[in-house]
Amino acid sequence: MDKALYIGMSGAKQNMLSQQAHANNLANVSTTGFKRDFAQARSMPVFGEHHPTRAYAMAERPGTDLSAGALMDTGRKLDVAVEGDGWLAVQNQQGEEVFTRSGSMQIDVNGLMRLSSGEMVMGNGGPVALPPFDNVQVGADGTISVVPVGGPPDQLVEVDRLKLVNPPREALEKGEDGFIRRKAGEALDGPEPPDANMRVASGFLESSNVNAVEEMISNLQLSRQYEMQVKIMTTANENSEASARLLQNL
Amino acid sequence: MHPALWVSKTGLSAQDTNMSTISNNLANVNTTGFKRDRAVFQDLLYQIDRQPGGLNTQNSELPSGLQLGTGVRIVGTTKQFSQGNLEVTEQPLDLAVNGRGFMQILLPDGQIAYTRDGQFQLNADGDIVNPDGYTLEPNINVPEDATNVTIGKDGTVSAVTNDQAAPVNLGEITLVDFINPQGLQAIGNNLYKATNASGDPAEGEPGIGGLGTLEQGMVEASNVEVVEELVNMITTQRAYEMNSKVVSATDQMLQFITNNIG
Repeated sequence: MDKALYIGMSGAKQNMLSQQAHANNLANVSTTGFKRDFAQARSMPVFGEHHPTRAYAMAERPGTDLSAGALMDTGRKLDVAVEGDGWLAVQNQQGEEVFTRSGSMQIDVNGLMRLSSGEMVMGNGGPVALPPFDNVQVGADGTISVVPVGGPPDQLVEVDRLKLVNPPREALEKGEDGFIRRKAGEALDGPEPPDANMRVASGFLESSNVNAVEEMISNLQLSRQYEMQVKIMTTANENSEASARLLQNL
Repeated sequence: MHPALWVSKTGLSAQDTNMSTISNNLANVNTTGFKRDRAVFQDLLYQIDRQPGGLNTQNSELPSGLQLGTGVRIVGTTKQFSQGNLEVTEQPLDLAVNGRGFMQILLPDGQIAYTRDGQFQLNADGDIVNPDGYTLEPNINVPEDATNVTIGKDGTVSAVTNDQAAPVNLGEITLVDFINPQGLQAIGNNLYKATNASGDPAEGEPGIGGLGTLEQGMVEASNVEVVEELVNMITTQRAYEMNSKVVSATDQMLQFITNNIG
């Protein structure tokens, strides 16, 4: 059997996996705070008791593009976008602290500040809880101040400050839930320390950093590559048919 | 089958839902007291095909694995309770809330619903009712011989009756507020119902304790911004088209393999 058949088959299969990665980026073109995933192929030569002629391709996710998306003006006071590098720290249902740049927040019945997807927003000492208020402001440094119910409108009371963190980019990865966290090998002993120099913009949300055109082109390019792999498979098939014919004529 | 098909399908259905939200906002651009919705997108779970740090040879690790996303979903829609413009109508029973708070409406089944739509009228019994005929809560009855109904900023309703010079107090309109208005359930007809997410209603006098004031002779217009919705509509349509392009490209790949192999 010609080994090219297997190499072509695995190439086509890995192409499909890369396409899924690009399709996922494109599907999330409207998801606020979404960070696109890279996809690449790695050559994997087979070593053994023979001459290393075979190199399979392997699709992998080398990382996530952590660059910022465009800011969208929403005018809502509890929509917060991070300016420059850094992340908002939120606590997920498992009690784990994860990072995000999608800052559309709501206040629940108990006054806790949560993301639209339910994660609790972290402040100076744990999740942010607000007293009943008439008005709320998020300052440029993440300070949350409220006008308490019935209070004079010019008297803002500082309640808490959003926990803004800025770990080094190379220490971060995207988890299975889509939130950003530290890699297993880069974990700190304690919680992530807040960064006092970070800035946020209230009334804005950060759009997805997916470039739709780029993802579409990547997908089409992978489609054509896939067809080439299939061509290799058909050629391998024709070769084996031709050799079978030669053997019949002996 | 090809995984990109399912991923792009989630993209298509999410953009579809987003389009419904946008079209509902645009359809209600002239609805009194309407609050616009926004669809909230979130990425779905990631599958780990190959863990980062797998062994390439006995003593070399692969630096990265393969984690594939499975698409997108719409977590929910959130209502944006920003103030709409106040429009002067000069009708004595038109009310607008200037600030936070909702007016209360008694539904026929005895439950209370909440609204920002203050286009009130009188029914045959002289009760103040909303356009659907549901009475305002607390119920205010205007006698037949009353003229010049006045509703103060604090909700006091008074009227002059034919045989008296001084106006008669007919009752007080109260407002309610919620700690999380976005948790209210919209039931249509410009009405909302309280849910566990919104919390319990806190009733109070208009203008006190953070509640807005009542403005007679005005209604609150819809807070839909047409330009913003149109821009959202364009981006949604294009995102939909691009996702459907991936579906058709994937389909062609499957077609190619069935035509060429076998």
